[in-house]
Amino acid sequence: MSAFTSEERQLLDDSLQDYIRSKYTFEHFRELTAADEVDGFGRAEWSEYAELGWLGTSLPESADGAGGGLTELCIVMAACGRGLLLEPFLSTIVMGAGAIEKVGTGEQQKILSEVAVGKRLLAFAHVEPDAGYARDYVRTVARPEGEGFVLDGEKGFTLHAQSADTLIVSARVGGDAGPVALFLVPANAEGVHFRPGPAFDGRRGAEISLSGVKVGGDAKLGASDADQTEVISGLIDRGVIAASAEAVGAMTTVAEMTLEYLKSREQFGQPLAKFQVLQHRIVEMNLACEEARVLVHAALEAVDTGSPVAQRMVWNAKVQTAKSARLVGGQAIQLHGGMGMTDELAIGHYYKRLTMCETMYGDGDWYLSQITAKG
Amino acid sequence: MFIRTVERDATLEAFRTEVREFCERELPTKTRENQELGRHIEKQDYDAWLKILGAKGWLTGKWPKEHGGLGWSPEQHVIFTEEIGRAGAPPIVPFGVTMVGPVIYTFGTDEQKAQYLEGIRKSNAWWCQGYSEPGAGSDLASLKTSAVRDGDDYVVNGQKIWTSYAHWADMMFCLVRTDSSGKKQQGISFLLIDMKTPGVTVRPIIAITKGHHLNEVFFDDVRVPAKNLVGEEGKGWTYAKFLLANERVGNVETGKFERYMDQLRVLLEVTKDGGKPLSENPSFQRKVAELEVGLETVKALMADQLAVARAEGAPSMIGASALKIRGTALQQEILQVIVDVLGRHGLVYQTDALVEGWNGEVIGPEDSAGLIYEHLYRRAATIYGGSTEVQKNIIAKGALDL
Repeated sequence: MSAFTSEERQLLDDSLQDYIRSKYTFEHFRELTAADEVDGFGRAEWSEYAELGWLGTSLPESADGAGGGLTELCIVMAACGRGLLLEPFLSTIVMGAGAIEKVGTGEQQKILSEVAVGKRLLAFAHVEPDAGYARDYVRTVARPEGEGFVLDGEKGFTLHAQSADTLIVSARVGGDAGPVALFLVPANAEGVHFRPGPAFDGRRGAEISLSGVKVGGDAKLGASDADQTEVISGLIDRGVIAASAEAVGAMTTVAEMTLEYLKSREQFGQPLAKFQVLQHRIVEMNLACEEARVLVHAALEAVDTGSPVAQRMVWNAKVQTAKSARLVGGQAIQLHGGMGMTDELAIGHYYKRLTMCETMYGDGDWYLSQITAKG
Repeated sequence: MFIRTVERDATLEAFRTEVREFCERELPTKTRENQELGRHIEKQDYDAWLKILGAKGWLTGKWPKEHGGLGWSPEQHVIFTEEIGRAGAPPIVPFGVTMVGPVIYTFGTDEQKAQYLEGIRKSNAWWCQGYSEPGAGSDLASLKTSAVRDGDDYVVNGQKIWTSYAHWADMMFCLVRTDSSGKKQQGISFLLIDMKTPGVTVRPIIAITKGHHLNEVFFDDVRVPAKNLVGEEGKGWTYAKFLLANERVGNVETGKFERYMDQLRVLLEVTKDGGKPLSENPSFQRKVAELEVGLETVKALMADQLAVARAEGAPSMIGASALKIRGTALQQEILQVIVDVLGRHGLVYQTDALVEGWNGEVIGPEDSAGLIYEHLYRRAATIYGGSTEVQKNIIAKGALDL
């Protein structure tokens, strides 16, 4: 259960929104993206989030976190969407810290304290080039050697991997048929090679090659030797709901911007907002936002209360959010006309972020197929 | 009419083969490669290819013979467009060939015909279109850029926006306001402006693609010779509408759509879910089938318009709008499915890879940056050339009398 009261949730949301309004403006976003460097986000901002307590929102109190649940974390994620935040919440807090918290040994949990204060960035290097959205496709191998392991394999494009201090790498222990385990791999370990590049929305990431990467025995996350495929699947569900919350934040904001534009832009002697066909369109956009928001909310409740149908609820939320994101993002550009096509307006950047959220950890169609397959 | 009779022309297949073989022989390899990977085509490479077509007379094949064209039938023109698209050639830049050329030979003076038509046929001059303004988008007739007569000149002041290739253009055909006393559609004139005239300033607009082809163009006391007025003063709207109908049909490049589909099929082979190619995935097989039906529908709409054009001399306003609405929607659908596939490669968008000669490491399929560029750029397909909403108004008013 959550350690947060309704008032505390509201306070968290308010503080995030205040920050975005006053500091993380669209101009600020553009400055950060324009800087041609490895990160593509603000390190100073990340430290600020640590001081404001946002990085520790969902981290355990033992790591100086606030002990919040997924709901609190998703309040932060929705704000990331609203403000187009570039910083690595998804990779470090949602996925990386999520993995350590879930399976890490007592010693490994200490990393979370460094995460909470913004001193350690993580990336979840699980997906592989031929995996697509399949969660159980792991060909990277961790061969036991002495006390430790030697890792070999290829990991697909991973957001913020090139900026991380520690990669959390999935690999099969022993060989192709071995159990899947997670490993803490220092990003600067010998044999780790990054192929960096920008994603659709300009955030940076990298493909990763692991060749003969030596790690100690303590690099294996957790004490169990059992196959971790189910744990990984649970983590991906966590990513799915977080990216969906981010999408809800982004679509709500861009729908608000579009409404304002329709009210202010005049053609044929009146504001565009007076045309019924456009009124209905903006109504559809708002309905889509509401549908996504309520399903994400329902899924969060299910997860935080340990409902037996929590996974299905998360997948439902993903399917609807992807559908809503596509509609709202596309129509935001359409209704802005040429203006929506320019890089100097926020609209296109929201379109891109929404498209990223839509495809993160699987798109709507993929989850529909999974739901169908499960019966 | 339920069924229109279309007479089959047996020479058409021979013409198709001729165009195909010509492209195979004449299209510079480098340009083809750049186009196939969706890289930016440099102006000199674009010029070189257009001049090859111009020398052959094919750029303006559909112009009447009396104006230096080859008098192609509409079907021949479609075949030509399809084949150069399939060959991986850059598309014909429409501003001179499709847009201002026919306006000049239909409404221009003999002096204007002598001065401009050959340059368009041979691609010696690059044109741009000065229509939209910050305050005049869908409501184009509300444009404000003014042209005031002063002796033998017009003095032009104002601003145009979304001007594709203005930074490369030698000339602009421009809608200007010469009279603001009556109805807004009256008082618009059609003026040809030399882009090198003092007072013309071009400023780039960077699009969501991160690329530059759009511009703002500012006019500050620009003196344009009055002999550059096309047709009658105040009749510019009529010429603009004449031209817009041409633009709408021209906006549907089915050859390009076929290429997207080819690229999609290859992507489905090389992209995997759990190690298994997406080409074996029933959900994608179904999507491809749906897109194929959509493409056949658009091609059939196009063929029907050609039959109308043949029977009645011009495509119908309604048919042109229908084609524009459905064609651009399909274009976005295909490019959406492509992005759905590329999501499995992390949706990487390496804009550097769009520059010829870049020697960085490509992440994912080689053509993904070009395809994502297209996906983003074609978000504008339902906006430019008269938005889908405007096209529907045209049909509502023009065909359904609403």
